[in-house]
Amino acid sequence: MLKKTAVQKISDLAAQLMQKGTLIAPVREDAGFNFREISDAGQVDLNFYNTLMSPKSAFFPHMEDFVRYQTGKSVLDAVPVEISIKPAFLFGVRPCDVKSFEIMDIHFSGTGAVDPYWQKRREATTIFGYAFDLNTPADGADFYATLGIGAADPEGSDVFMMKKGDELLLKAVTKKGEKLLAEMSGLTDASPEDQKYFDETVATGRSFKTRLTCVEAKSIAKKFEDLFHKTPFWERISDACLSCGICTFVCPTCYCFDICDETLFGQGTRRRVWDACMFTDFTLEASGHNPRTKVYQRLRQKVCHKYSYHVRKYGVISCVGCGRCTRACPVNIDIFSIVDQAMKE
Amino acid sequence: MSSDNPYIPMPVEIIKIIDEVDTHDIKTFRFTFLNKADEKKFKYLPGQFAELSIYGKGESPIGIASSPTEQGYVEFTVQRAGAIVPGLVTAALHDMDEGAKIGLRGPLGNSWPIEFLEKKNIVVVGGGFAFTTLRSLINYMLYKDNRSRFGDITVIYGARTPGLLLYKDELAAWEKRDDIKTIITVDKGDENWKGREGFVPAVCKDAAPSPKNTVAVICGPPVMIKFTLPVFFELGFSRENILTSLEMRMKCGIGKCGRCNVGYKYVCSDGPVFSLAELEELPRDF
Repeated sequence: MLKKTAVQKISDLAAQLMQKGTLIAPVREDAGFNFREISDAGQVDLNFYNTLMSPKSAFFPHMEDFVRYQTGKSVLDAVPVEISIKPAFLFGVRPCDVKSFEIMDIHFSGTGAVDPYWQKRREATTIFGYAFDLNTPADGADFYATLGIGAADPEGSDVFMMKKGDELLLKAVTKKGEKLLAEMSGLTDASPEDQKYFDETVATGRSFKTRLTCVEAKSIAKKFEDLFHKTPFWERISDACLSCGICTFVCPTCYCFDICDETLFGQGTRRRVWDACMFTDFTLEASGHNPRTKVYQRLRQKVCHKYSYHVRKYGVISCVGCGRCTRACPVNIDIFSIVDQAMKE
Repeated sequence: MSSDNPYIPMPVEIIKIIDEVDTHDIKTFRFTFLNKADEKKFKYLPGQFAELSIYGKGESPIGIASSPTEQGYVEFTVQRAGAIVPGLVTAALHDMDEGAKIGLRGPLGNSWPIEFLEKKNIVVVGGGFAFTTLRSLINYMLYKDNRSRFGDITVIYGARTPGLLLYKDELAAWEKRDDIKTIITVDKGDENWKGREGFVPAVCKDAAPSPKNTVAVICGPPVMIKFTLPVFFELGFSRENILTSLEMRMKCGIGKCGRCNVGYKYVCSDGPVFSLAELEELPRDF
């Protein structure tokens, strides 16, 4: 099913989705675009390249409350925070970010224990993917093509959107997407010409150029295993690293978290918050032992985790080449260049 | 409480506290479940651990010291941390009395590989405080219905001083049994000590267990491990037949939070028990 509407009428679409549940979409902010819960349909703005923060927080928010407790009271009086999750619509997600959800699914709900928060939010959410504009060159930081992700890949989305002039084409990719599009008013059926445009764009998107190095998951994984002990390599690439962790915070596939208790005036919440392997106390044990006291050890952990350990454990590279870490890094450390240099070692 | 949410602890009550050592910083806590359903669900094997959870302080991953053959309770031997890093949970726990209620999440991790150990001779080597899940394993193997499933059992356990030996009553009981060979050693004895003196690696060398159809299960401080492994290599033990339990900082305990990641393993869910062969495949990042 392929439908269309005028780009100008996007707020009509947004308003309808807000009737059905929570709408999370890109909005323009001072520093750039970010996904936010929409309170005014007019806020939705599809004139963005990509958001500063990844959309992972739709399923894995920066903070997640587990339990409320009171100091001085029994453990029996603690109250788990109910996971009440309304239907949600995640609108305008770039194909590389859509791919990140699939990678995170393997970790959070596909292997071993199931994370109920991630799983319930994923189930309750309909994803509207959104093709990159193929007439605009990719940002210099992006390298999703290296990882086999096309600029207009509909896979992983429930509904996939792309602009065609001043129109927005909406393709139902899954049954969930089809049902939703059928319920929406104000959409018109696309013409055969629109269908052709859609198919061609998807195909062209597969050869759309981002920075490209040849990366094959198994060989890069092995390469990093061999490189682990080459300390001079890691010292060189981490020379400028401030260990600030911003790369992990903007990353769509970083999932490390801390569980902490915050108590104020006797009222407390146990919650999880994002954490990062780039921080020195991440691995500090109660005995005082810390296997990763040096910056190079932590940057090595981050890179090897994404490109080697994750491949061996789950079969996929834990990176989608969205370029956020490179754009956000205050000292211009670029994970693509690290991979590139590693392959040449 | 919530049974399908692995992050929500089950309520337990401390029914017994045993002061284990003369420095009074290691205690064994015996817990009973406040909800019968939780007790039923808490099926564990020796070598597994759980998160002890105190609201307002946090959670601590601690090895289970009791054996699943003991019914109605579960025990943890906990050292009060804080010499270097403030140990909020362990300090709070040490300050509690019998009757106090806390939270528990588990059982977590893999276990000593019981099926692999069956029909084999077992040499258990422990040092200092790192004897807790070994005690669980020994009591499990010694249980009347289990003993015939295992071959000869040898225990070599050492501590710095006699006062630092854990589970003193049990050690004495094991020494009296003829279906387990118990060798206790201390680095330095005191005026009342009539037993053996010497470091664990040297005692292992003296005992010289045969590697034939035998698995060595070794836990202890890094320095003990460092000098004990070569002894077992020399005796002819293969890396597949040397098992140990790894420590790494943990939070979730279920392989999600990323903290205990070493190479392609999560110590909490893929471990904490590994064979030496498995450990040598991992980057030295722990």
